Amino acid sequence: MAEYNDPSTTTTLPSPPFDSISSIRFHPTNPDLMLVSSWDTTVRYYDTGSASHAPEQKAKFDHRAAVLACAFNGAGDKAYSGGLDTGVRELDLAGERMTHLGTHADSVSAMTWSKNTNALVTGSWDRTLRFWDPRASSTDGGSAGALSSTTSTPERIYALDLVNHTLVVAMASRLFHIYDIRNMSVPAQQRESSLKYMTRSLAAMPSGEGYACASVEGRIAVEWFDPAPAVQERKYAFKCHRQTVGEVDHVWPVNALAFHPIYNTFASAGSDGTVSIWDHKVKKRLRQFPKYPAPVSAIAFNCDGSKLGVAASYTWDEGEEGAKAVGSAPWVGVRKVGEEGKPKGWTGN
Amino acid sequence: MAKKKNKPLIRPWCWYCEREFEDEKVLMQHQKAKHFKCGLCPRRLNTAGGLAVHIQQVHKLDADNLPRIDNALPGRDGYEIEIFGMEGIPAPDVADYKRRKEIELGLSAGSISQPPPKRAKTENRALTEDELRAQLEAHKALMGQGAGVDVNRGESTTSTSVYGAPAQAYSVPATPTPGTGGPTPPGYGAPPMGFPGQMPPMMPGSAPPFPPPFGMGMPPGGPPPGFPLPPFPPPGMMPPFPPGAPRPPFPPPPGMMPPGMSPPLPGPPGMGAPPPGMSPMGGPPMGPPGMSPPMGMSGMPPPGMAMGGLPPRPGPPPTPTFVPAQQSQGQQSSQPSQQPSQPESQGQAQGQETIPPLTLPNPSLKQKNPEFKKATELKWNDANFSPEERRSRCGRYWWAARGQSQVGGGGERGEEGRGKKRARAEDFL
Repeated sequence: MAEYNDPSTTTTLPSPPFDSISSIRFHPTNPDLMLVSSWDTTVRYYDTGSASHAPEQKAKFDHRAAVLACAFNGAGDKAYSGGLDTGVRELDLAGERMTHLGTHADSVSAMTWSKNTNALVTGSWDRTLRFWDPRASSTDGGSAGALSSTTSTPERIYALDLVNHTLVVAMASRLFHIYDIRNMSVPAQQRESSLKYMTRSLAAMPSGEGYACASVEGRIAVEWFDPAPAVQERKYAFKCHRQTVGEVDHVWPVNALAFHPIYNTFASAGSDGTVSIWDHKVKKRLRQFPKYPAPVSAIAFNCDGSKLGVAASYTWDEGEEGAKAVGSAPWVGVRKVGEEGKPKGWTGN
Repeated sequence: MAKKKNKPLIRPWCWYCEREFEDEKVLMQHQKAKHFKCGLCPRRLNTAGGLAVHIQQVHKLDADNLPRIDNALPGRDGYEIEIFGMEGIPAPDVADYKRRKEIELGLSAGSISQPPPKRAKTENRALTEDELRAQLEAHKALMGQGAGVDVNRGESTTSTSVYGAPAQAYSVPATPTPGTGGPTPPGYGAPPMGFPGQMPPMMPGSAPPFPPPFGMGMPPGGPPPGFPLPPFPPPGMMPPFPPGAPRPPFPPPPGMMPPGMSPPLPGPPGMGAPPPGMSPMGGPPMGPPGMSPPMGMSGMPPPGMAMGGLPPRPGPPPTPTFVPAQQSQGQQSSQPSQQPSQPESQGQAQGQETIPPLTLPNPSLKQKNPEFKKATELKWNDANFSPEERRSRCGRYWWAARGQSQVGGGGERGEEGRGKKRARAEDFL
């Protein structure tokens, strides 16, 4: 079996972060540009390379504490970041400048960009969702005015994703809220996870029909937005990222999910060091990639679905002790995605 | 047995700055925070070697271009010696430290550094109630006479138990030595001397060890009898060895009188306070010595201390007046830096420890993982906090503690404050 970093399929990025990678985001229109946020307090901006040029780190933004989330804006000329220092920042990718937009009351755990409303959505352990209009801040040279609204949630926000106007928010205590971002005053739906263990990751279907979420207990649920009972009946969950050793089941968290932008399949990344691609329509696994040397902490597809960014780094499953025992340095690479992401009999939908 | 008795006497201490700590854990936190912190980024390493490698690899500095270790005593700011808590301290430095510690605590030489001879121990035991009572009497008598002074001393000394710090405070009261009156300078000198004087036995030929300063007129053994009693805090408090100098008030303790001069200074132990510093009773004894030690310690450590048995003597006494002496004299770098740094670093250590535990914002939503039907190893089995939340509370990543005060004040202000605080991190790379 090929190695995880086989150069024929995978590009290993130079200058990876020194500490665990918390998230990966691809540029909204350029298939080669990628952001990586890390516990080493940086956000790095990479050109992942192509047939004509080598991969390189284009910029690095240092923060004062670990960064947990990042996102591009709609045009892809700016990016945003947030993390343990509770601040929300705008990163000028060309000028390598950072602008402080404002703060949450606790660590910023998740963020996404809303194309339709040109707003940044952030979620935090402070149990709020905040919407930011970065343009509002540029006029007064800084931080006042960028925050456009705050919505309280019942629990700490662990993950969020947005498709069209539908915002899915995954929280602690296995709670989910689904909002229409045009009306943030009340959640359109409030759900409890169909999984019995802590929610670990979330991704919305590009088709806008539903979302997939995963728990720390190696299990993924596929859910639908439409509350009609006939639709809800189709939801299901399945086990993954586990292994039976002797008599004991070893069960790893599913750290990240990412939908392919075109094929409507999705990839899952586990602390077991594997990445799998699933076709949720036929409920089949399409592919499992060679095992990575560390837990896979983040994955993302690029805009045209030709690349899958993968980060392998310690995910704190064994606490501080585990951090010492980890043998490999954080690794970030990009894998070419060809037919393996395509459902069988794909006809262009 | 010897070990058991000794252990508590000497607390974990930091080789780099010679500060004492409650336990090794705190010590290691201190070292991470004060000595193994990278100056170029927020990272804290566990050892000097780790820091060196970090700086070389992450910040690309040459091996011979590394910054010295922060906050270290002169000569201890290098990377050659790998220190981890109490591990790795060069033996000579350990011996040296113990010896100084003895002086500071007013213990007989060797009580820490060497297993006390059996003899000493038996003597300790020997102090029966009667003896204790006798000592108490003596003590009271002394207190009665030198009242004010001694009382003060007693108190201040107590604090002295904390390495170095209080010494000064205490010294102030000492100076007044009412009774002494005229002979101030010598008077002062005397007490300390008297103390050390007792050590001579340990080092034979060295009886006249403190020649220079004291040498004047003061026989090593003890100050001239004529000497006013009260001024001697040390002896005063410790009935047992009043001996050093013929102190009127003290009826020489039974078994050990003249021996006052002899090595076994049962004094402190006799008081019933093994760790002298700890109990008020014990306190006094150390008081005086406490003062001298600092001087001695800082002043002489490198040279004299390392050597075999010449601990106590000289260093301290040299100065006629305690107070000034301490500060102005030999303390030079080490002592001063230690004293001020102490509280600060304690705060620091505490700061690290005070990372608040994770709490559920809404306990009614508390989760409990369901049981598994078959044997399962769930890699993350905390039902209420995510790996990232746990991780954020780990010292290395902990942010709120550092920014808390500012954060409390509100976003913008906090922002600025933190900005300054970690300015260097921003330049990093």
